[in-house]
Amino acid sequence: MRSRHFLATLALTLTAVLSAPAAHAQGAGGEWVSYRDAYRAMVRFEKYGGPKNLLVNALQVVPTGNGALGEGAQLTLSGKTVQLNLPLDALGRTVFPLQKAAYDENAALTLNRKGIAFTVRPQVALVSRADGQYDAAELRAACAQALGYARWLDPAQGARGCAGVRFMYARKLEAGVRLRHAEGAEQVLPVVEEGSGAAVVYRFGASAERAQVVTANGPVAILPLIE
Amino acid sequence: MNKLLLLAMTACCGTALAQTGTHVTTAYPMPDGSRDTYLGLGVQSAPRWEGAAERRVSALPVLQAQWSNGIFVSGLTAGMHLSDQPTFEYGPLLALQPGRGDAGMGRGPDGTGAGVGLTFNGAAAEPAFLRAKSGARLAGLDDIRTRLLAGGFANVYLAPQWRLTGSLLFGAGNDRDGARLELGVQRLAAGLGEHHRVSLAAGVGIVNRQYNEAWSSVTGAEAARSRFAPYAPGGGLHDAHAGVRWNWDWSPSWMLTTNLEARRLLGSARNSPLVERPANLTVSTAVAYHF
Repeated sequence: MRSRHFLATLALTLTAVLSAPAAHAQGAGGEWVSYRDAYRAMVRFEKYGGPKNLLVNALQVVPTGNGALGEGAQLTLSGKTVQLNLPLDALGRTVFPLQKAAYDENAALTLNRKGIAFTVRPQVALVSRADGQYDAAELRAACAQALGYARWLDPAQGARGCAGVRFMYARKLEAGVRLRHAEGAEQVLPVVEEGSGAAVVYRFGASAERAQVVTANGPVAILPLIE
Repeated sequence: MNKLLLLAMTACCGTALAQTGTHVTTAYPMPDGSRDTYLGLGVQSAPRWEGAAERRVSALPVLQAQWSNGIFVSGLTAGMHLSDQPTFEYGPLLALQPGRGDAGMGRGPDGTGAGVGLTFNGAAAEPAFLRAKSGARLAGLDDIRTRLLAGGFANVYLAPQWRLTGSLLFGAGNDRDGARLELGVQRLAAGLGEHHRVSLAAGVGIVNRQYNEAWSSVTGAEAARSRFAPYAPGGGLHDAHAGVRWNWDWSPSWMLTTNLEARRLLGSARNSPLVERPANLTVSTAVAYHF
């Protein structure tokens, strides 16, 4: 009697497992991410009631293997009636559309890079300025906003603090950031290669200083450095 | 009764949906007026009753739904998320507890563990021909009727993947005076876009004396007409349990959900003459459609 029950269980499980490839058809041609999962992660920022005027929230694609996204990468949002291309920047980020239609249609996000498995995650960055000049105090305030949001999401962030900001560039040649002190002296901040791109780190001092950070070229993103 | 309850819940949710506001004011992170629903079918192998040596394999319907106003149904548990904080969840909870006849406990739908994180196996009468076949091992004991339990739940997140869980439900047993407190810890599945999601859970159940009297006692009258000796249990620690759930997403719409839970009866419940095997496993697997 017991063995018959066990066999019945096994048979159904095998049926379920073997039917997986057929059911996988929607993700054919590459990996996919559920729009609903991404939506639930991204909408948290909208619901956050704390200060966030100096922040922007983007969806970042992260390859899980060795593959790189390269230029021209984009996500495609596909539902029953929804079809939308979402170009990715050099950091694999895109503005995420919060659409009820896509949610209700249980849409999928696919990548135009065959064979590259990926996950997605929300990434909070600082708002970029058109003139490329940032007061140190403003960068501190923006980083504090990002830290406040991170703590709202995750109590374990309570022990960490704002250490600075990172100016992210697609290529090392484009990276150029100077620190202009209050008395007029200027200091070129060092460039660090990161993957195929580069980063310039501006670390906050122990006390608030009256200084400006000046970028020669607009960075792809300015990320808070929380340690 | 189960169907009526579910219909009532659905009607309730529909009414509440119409009252919700704009896009991001909802209690749950989804668009206003939207819902997530899983429906499916699978199999479950479980002891015939808590502590039984004999197992039973039965069909396992899967039912889970989450509405944007916070109301959810998972298996035969229903509740409402009242908090809009990502690190603290709380709200009222209803659960349909399966009854127990002379052949063991009933069964009902399961959840998927996705999002809601609460699952409960509900009640469904076992067909008479199966009861006869199983030998009515609990013959002579009073039947325990299916009961609607009411209470609440609270979950505290220590980190995005780790949370402490608690729920308290009243109304168990024929006298509706049984109470059960469930305390646990869960490690939730991580990673957006990962198609294999494994979550772990462990916890303990604590019950009052009336709960154990309903489920573990043998009265003098029952002893006289059954194979069991009289037994009068107290309250306290009822069981410890640990489980793992594996959800395999085949597409945004289809998934395979598999659950394994080990449970060991403790205290007065463990010492009941009804207990043939204090430690037991429950295994289930089901295919579910997400729409």
